[in-house]
Amino acid sequence: MPNPLKPESSAITTCAYCGVGCGFKAETRDGRIVRMTPWKEGKANHGHACVKGRFAYDYYLAPDRATTPMIRRSIADEWQPVDWDTAFAHAASELTRIQTEHGRGSIGGVSSSRCTNEEIFLVQKLVRCAMRNNNVDNCSRICHSPTQFGLSATLGAGAASQHFDSVLQSDAILVVGANPTEGHPVFGSMMKRRIREGARLLVIDPRRTETVDSPHCRATVHLGLRPGTNVAVLNSVSHVIVREGLVNRAFVDARTETDEFDVWADHVADDRYGPDVIGPHAGLDPDEIRRLARIYASGPNSTIYYGLGVTEHSQGSTGVMCLGNLAMACGMIGREGVGVNPLRGQGNVQGGSCLGSWPHMFTGYRFVTDPVVRGEFEAEWGIELDPEPGLRLPNMFDAAVTGAFRGMYIQGEDPVQSDPNHHHVVRALEAMDCVIVHDLFLTETAKYAHVFLPGSSSLEKDGTFTNAERRVSRVRKIVEPVAGLADWQITMRLMQALGYDCHYEHPSEILDEIARTSPAYRGMSFDLIDRVGSVQWPCDENAPEGTEVLHTERFPRGRGNFMLTEYVPTRERTTDEHPLLLTTGRILSQYNVGTQTRRTANTVWYPEDVLEITRDDAETRGIKDGDWVGIASRFGSTRLRAKISERVNPGIVYTTFHYAQTMVNKVTSDLSDWATNCPEYKVTAVEVLRVAAEPAAATEASGVPAGAAGA
Amino acid sequence: MTEPVIEIERLEEMANQIADFFSPYPEERAVEGIRNHLRNYWDPRMREALRDHDNAGGAGLHPRVRLAVARLREDADLRAYAGPPRGAA
Ligand code: SF4
Repeated sequence: MPNPLKPESSAITTCAYCGVGCGFKAETRDGRIVRMTPWKEGKANHGHACVKGRFAYDYYLAPDRATTPMIRRSIADEWQPVDWDTAFAHAASELTRIQTEHGRGSIGGVSSSRCTNEEIFLVQKLVRCAMRNNNVDNCSRICHSPTQFGLSATLGAGAASQHFDSVLQSDAILVVGANPTEGHPVFGSMMKRRIREGARLLVIDPRRTETVDSPHCRATVHLGLRPGTNVAVLNSVSHVIVREGLVNRAFVDARTETDEFDVWADHVADDRYGPDVIGPHAGLDPDEIRRLARIYASGPNSTIYYGLGVTEHSQGSTGVMCLGNLAMACGMIGREGVGVNPLRGQGNVQGGSCLGSWPHMFTGYRFVTDPVVRGEFEAEWGIELDPEPGLRLPNMFDAAVTGAFRGMYIQGEDPVQSDPNHHHVVRALEAMDCVIVHDLFLTETAKYAHVFLPGSSSLEKDGTFTNAERRVSRVRKIVEPVAGLADWQITMRLMQALGYDCHYEHPSEILDEIARTSPAYRGMSFDLIDRVGSVQWPCDENAPEGTEVLHTERFPRGRGNFMLTEYVPTRERTTDEHPLLLTTGRILSQYNVGTQTRRTANTVWYPEDVLEITRDDAETRGIKDGDWVGIASRFGSTRLRAKISERVNPGIVYTTFHYAQTMVNKVTSDLSDWATNCPEYKVTAVEVLRVAAEPAAATEASGVPAGAAGA
Repeated sequence: MTEPVIEIERLEEMANQIADFFSPYPEERAVEGIRNHLRNYWDPRMREALRDHDNAGGAGLHPRVRLAVARLREDADLRAYAGPPRGAA
């Protein structure tokens, strides 16, 4: 009898769980995966990986995986299984009917960072060419859209300036609103290695995260600021740098718009941003702000890594600009060991950002309102394109509530669970005539859908991912698509059903089209990636095998631009009724809202979302470790278990959002970033009360709010 | 005047937030920055609803938003642009 575990074949592919994008060797036998081993030549991970990538692959065989297309007239009806042709024909006729009755702009679509670059590109092509409008968005709207906005405004490119290995040459590492040891483990280990070698770690985060304080990682300075004060504190850091003469004037003169620098320097040097003013406001020791500023400015190589703790605020884009300004003022950009780097949550968020899945931008961050750029796409696609920006994802929901937006194609996203202000999203979905969910599972959102298209996981298709260091790597088909079609085929078939003629035999043809239409991807192809392993954009005639470090000689916008970053406190404030501030995050063994990891053995490591609360705040409320508590804001309420924690400050509570039972977004606010509408997940005023017991499963499953605070 | 595509309170809040961002800039640049943002990032139906609201007195709108709305000429130069305008400070 053959050894049941002995693999028959193997292929190299890329992990989809986080923005590190580790390379893996996937081994199969009898068409099933038997082992995933980290790939030694993988340039993002060099043979390392974490528990998610190694063990959380069996979701693709989960018993509740949906495998048949389904339709129904109303969300009150039962699902009716149909064949693919019927599903596409039904979806297309509904969308066409809606447009005839309510206008061209009454439908749209959203793409997922779970999907490949090629699939994301096709969704925006479907919306622009088959729906004939620009109502297309991608899931980075709710996490990193401020990155693109803030870094474009200052540096000219909305992406990480460095490759991961660059951190091994850093002397000071500033981590803002991110927890790389938990969120981006393989990069986190590389960072820890550098800290063991003597680099100083500076952390700005409301929570004493595992990055701040764990056996192999201790921050030299930790600014445990009050949630919502990032911009004030970063301005104060810049204040110290300007006032103490720590600016790298040679860099500023050589590389930036000096007039803008002077205006900016005056702005941050104002007394109102002094550490003695900002410290007390943000709950910080003013001397610690000074210490952080001095260490960052003195380098010699200082680098910045940041995450959702910067972006998911009403001033998210402003916070990102602060980081761009800071790096330029100290000359910490344009070589190894320095830079400004977003740490992206999901696997292909950078891809979602690059591939034109935006209502106002084509691939390569070029505006749809720009007639020259639009002309290039019209020539490539042979169709006249809508010259106006479309609706952003949150605006689609807003417009659904008024009846102006009525049909939506949702690829691989679960907004009912992941988007803020749950009740508003549900109301919007209920108001729509045709919601098409294309996903692996019957998600929370699928409860409100009229058409369900069973998707394929990243193990079931060919394509590419772009990781957080701009590295484009191959995703390879390891097993056959469980439902029969790869995601790119599903989108292509829907496009055809809507009457736009386009055809691809293989995803490599889609990447070729991306290369033709996007300057940064100009030299990309499956052949090139297969030959050299992976390629960091920009990849063009000047850099035929890609680029590790950006901005070495000039910025994409020419000279760097200092933006003024006034601190505007969020409208979300604590009150007598809601005296605590809730902030949210994610943990290592789970992947975002957990659609995939919850279906694997990884739940053993982390069985539920818990609410971290200080001992004092818990005691005054009669809460003990492990108690069920209700958490309520002015938006809604939910229940979860309390965990007494030393990691949060008094007045602050913290939780993750991985589990549908918890639905933390029933509680989070409807405020959003001024520039991008990225939701303010990081600051919500709440009250926490002890409740009797576990909620009745039936109530939760039907989506009825549990009325948690009532107990 | 047509029904607004999105509830006017929401649009008003979004527009005022944009004005808050541009508050440290001199008036001329701020107004131009707000106008450009609305023009490049807002669906035309959202701009139209904002304009209707402004025409009806613009209650609740930041004064610089009102100036920017007045400048929302649809035929303006639309070359790509993500920040406050260059030049005159
Ligand atoms: S989750 Fe991230 S760090 Fe872990 S294996 Fe996957 S890509 Fe690598």
